Amino acid sequence: MTELQAERARERTIESSAVPRIETRSKRLRYIDVLIAVAAFALLAALPFLFSSKALIDFVIRCAAFGLFATSLNLLVGYTGMISFGHGMFFGLGAYGFGLIMQRTGVPIPVAFIGTLLITTLVAAVIGAICVRLKEIYFAFVTLAFQMLIHSTIVSWTSLTGGDQGLRGGIPRPVFLGIDLSNQMHLYIASCTLLVSGLLLMRQIAQSPFGYTLRMIRDNASRASFIGIDVWRAKLTIFVLAALFASTGGIIMSLFVSGAYPEFAYWTISGEGIFINMLGGVTTFLGPMVGTVLLLILNDTVTRLTEYYGIVLGIVILFFAIGLRKGLMDFMVEWCEQRRDGAKERA
Amino acid sequence: MDIDALTGCLASSACLVTQTTSGFIIGMLLFLVAVGLTLIFGVLQVVNFSHGAFYMFGAYFAMTAYQVTGSFALAMFCGAAGTAILGLVFERVFMSRVYGGDVLMQLLVCYAFVLIFDDLVRLVWGPEFRSMGMPSAFQVPPLFIAGGVVPPYYLLLIGVALAVAAILGVGLARTKIGKVIRAAAHNPGMVSALGINTGLIYGGVFALGGMLAGLAGALAAPVRSLTPGMGFSVLIESFIVTVIGGMGSIFGALIGALLIGMIRSYGSLGFPLFTDGMMYLFMVIVLVARPTGLFGKEVA
Amino acid sequence: MTETSRPGVSRRSTLALMGAGAMTFATPWVARAQAKTIKIGMPTILSGRVAQLGTSSRNGVMIEVDKINAAGGLAGRQIEMVIRDSKGAPQEAARVARELVNTDGCELLLDAEASSGAFAVHEVARDLGVFCIHTNSETSSLTADPKQHIPNAFRTARQGVHDSIVGGGYAAAIAKVKGLKKWATCSPDYAYGRDTTGEFVYYLKQFAPDVEIVSDAWPKLFQPDYTEVVTKILQAKPQALYSALWGGDLTSYIDQANIYALFSQMEVFAVNMADYTALTVVKNLPKGIHSGNRYIKTYPATAENAAWGDAYKAKYSEYPTNWSWENATAVMLIAEASRKANSADGKKLADAMRGLTIKSPFGADGTVTMRAEDQTLIGYAIGWGTTIPNEPYVPEVKSGDWKQILALEAEWKKTKGYT
Repeated sequence: MTELQAERARERTIESSAVPRIETRSKRLRYIDVLIAVAAFALLAALPFLFSSKALIDFVIRCAAFGLFATSLNLLVGYTGMISFGHGMFFGLGAYGFGLIMQRTGVPIPVAFIGTLLITTLVAAVIGAICVRLKEIYFAFVTLAFQMLIHSTIVSWTSLTGGDQGLRGGIPRPVFLGIDLSNQMHLYIASCTLLVSGLLLMRQIAQSPFGYTLRMIRDNASRASFIGIDVWRAKLTIFVLAALFASTGGIIMSLFVSGAYPEFAYWTISGEGIFINMLGGVTTFLGPMVGTVLLLILNDTVTRLTEYYGIVLGIVILFFAIGLRKGLMDFMVEWCEQRRDGAKERA
Repeated sequence: MDIDALTGCLASSACLVTQTTSGFIIGMLLFLVAVGLTLIFGVLQVVNFSHGAFYMFGAYFAMTAYQVTGSFALAMFCGAAGTAILGLVFERVFMSRVYGGDVLMQLLVCYAFVLIFDDLVRLVWGPEFRSMGMPSAFQVPPLFIAGGVVPPYYLLLIGVALAVAAILGVGLARTKIGKVIRAAAHNPGMVSALGINTGLIYGGVFALGGMLAGLAGALAAPVRSLTPGMGFSVLIESFIVTVIGGMGSIFGALIGALLIGMIRSYGSLGFPLFTDGMMYLFMVIVLVARPTGLFGKEVA
Repeated sequence: MTETSRPGVSRRSTLALMGAGAMTFATPWVARAQAKTIKIGMPTILSGRVAQLGTSSRNGVMIEVDKINAAGGLAGRQIEMVIRDSKGAPQEAARVARELVNTDGCELLLDAEASSGAFAVHEVARDLGVFCIHTNSETSSLTADPKQHIPNAFRTARQGVHDSIVGGGYAAAIAKVKGLKKWATCSPDYAYGRDTTGEFVYYLKQFAPDVEIVSDAWPKLFQPDYTEVVTKILQAKPQALYSALWGGDLTSYIDQANIYALFSQMEVFAVNMADYTALTVVKNLPKGIHSGNRYIKTYPATAENAAWGDAYKAKYSEYPTNWSWENATAVMLIAEASRKANSADGKKLADAMRGLTIKSPFGADGTVTMRAEDQTLIGYAIGWGTTIPNEPYVPEVKSGDWKQILALEAEWKKTKGYT
């Protein structure tokens, strides 16, 4: 738990009072997070002016979609120890929900957005209530089963979802508040906004007392319940929250491709989420973001060069799983720690 | 949804017999494919996500051997032996490194190999689908047994499946080596303290599981087209069967497979467009009511 | 000081990795199209179960592109094909299509995607306004539905509804002669399977009104075990069976139906049987399966068609598939359109393509036409016949009548509300 240690160390130097206080978060750290978020957003917003490349815009939009998805998965996997194999169902639900609302009703985009999140909350609450009391691998199995069930339903319910061909005809994008999402630049700024604010919110969740409750549950659920924590309620809450962010990722993707396809709810999306978390590392908050960028770069580069993408991806996975045994961010953080310790030792 | 067809069938004895027979056949074929997966989980506590890849290799090895030699028996042997060796090597070199780790690492290592194996097969045998063809010995009309239609080739498959179930069930429970394997699953430290090479046991069991998958692939090759990536659909099916029956239980896999066979058989009458969904729904219900499956044991 | 040995990668190699990564990341933005060549982008499926779709599409395109380049190119510009794998995922197809146009400087798109991938690329074409020809998607609604219509998208693939009209007529004739009143269907449970089968049944009943469907089976795409499907059909005791299964599924189904002796109990009409891959791969092909034509070297029975098939086989060591001729036709149309417009500009090509008729070895009467009204291909050779297990595989083909096809298609569009 490098982050916890690092933070405790920071807090000790900030609070030089002799009385040890149990404080998990100081206002100053929260402002730092907001500052980082604003700076990141400014950087992202400036990118199109620095590099006039449409591919970069597309890349960042896809990073936003998958980044939100993967970071939300890490809330479950890394912070709570709930390994979900079916998280992709919320990505698909977001895409289809938003797409259907926009195609079938004439509501403005923000209303459709809220509506999709409400639907996701409902579905996640029901599914979560059933799933979260299962432990470890059985939780993984049942989430996968639910995802495949949802996928099956999407494919069979042709009259509503268009079946295996997906929602066709494009997603209508009426202008709202002067924002026209059919303009690629507007979509870019909107995706960046959603990404940065989503990450900021998830960061607050992760660093809040609730977030530390989750860590406690991850480390020893029985001990947590002996202290009086309602483990089931906590797990259900984070399950639903994670689903909401995954759903937002799905909405961004549906806007990017202007449609929704059953592949968005297929287990391969969950698999990609897991890869991303493994590539970037689950012990840091930004690990999944790093993983997203890595996987997308890998995907784009390899498919440009060869049609044997499987062999390359397989070797990369083996390298990280057996060779490094940790994600890239984990590796970087540990490396920095070891340098720091080495410097201290030498001093 | 065609509930009338379903109830109509349940009322007619001829239909009942035919559907149950076909459900039985489907179930036995599923069991043959799934038993290797449950064995590996039962002994090694590892979910072998590359199970489908072994099935695929078994089929391809058998097809090539058949094309070269023209002998069905030799083709089956090549399919089984080839995948046994592959399983042993895979386990000793790669899987043994991720035993202690969490299920995520195991999943990733297996999945990495599925990707690599699929592309390798595509490189060697080409992307188009292939067919082995039915050996002339089995090109005979189907038999009518107790009112149900049974092709002779499927009788062979059912026989092999039952034999495997019997050998594994009795073997693990009664024989000395079965006891050693079960002991190694329960308490490897103790077993190795007794001077038994647990690494060899683990490798052997994985090789056995892989061999069973490869044998299933080889036996299925005469009636199914071969294509890179054919392992995926059987992986999902095997997964459902073993989860429902209980991971680690041979008997559970048998029952689970038969249940799925019946769901598919009767489902094709009652819910022809949602049979898949029914299977997943059933899987959800079993997992929620009894997470370890119908006959599974609690994982330590 | 003790040196702690760290597992994993050393600092130097990590930096090297990051450097390499940054460079490969930067490369796409460096590529620029030159005026001398014209780049045509082609998203397709080169991996996975349907990899053959992409490889045969690519072959069909390249065999024609080489001819064009040898003859001077497209309005004087040499064609450079940029073919990319989308792995069959629609979001990948969309991304690849956008990347081909925005980054790689492709001015035209040949969309060799299937099903949902084609619809995804269609949205990209709508958004970017780039000239696009869909070469593999047989879903009629892609061009028939006015909501999908955009002036810069065309289709050179055959349409399911055309196949069903011809198939229905052919099957009805045989049904009347042999007294086949009870029919069953067995098709893959996805849009192509359901639509094609539904349309076939509709037209069969139009031409032979006393036909009734006694059973229908809908296996999943790529399902390995067809046991319950075969037994369900056998139980209903139909006299004839229609199936839209294709490729490896059709082969598996034939193998499994064979051991149940299904073929001796009913006439089988499999619209996708007469495809060289299926015909050459199936080991125990029963005689007398009726099939529509996919690509057959001997139909149309012209020297041009046979020559094209032989040249393809000589170059790629395999027979052409249905996808091969559809993609080749797209290139042929582009070539002729550029000659007419004396330009390779997308918009001018689109204007020239509408209503264009070209000479084609795949045409029913030696020509094919790109219909202006909905920008889809008509006039291609379409017919049904019985298959035998060896060359020429389909000795006799009964041709469809395009006048009838077009008339019935127009009616069909009215019933779907497309007009």
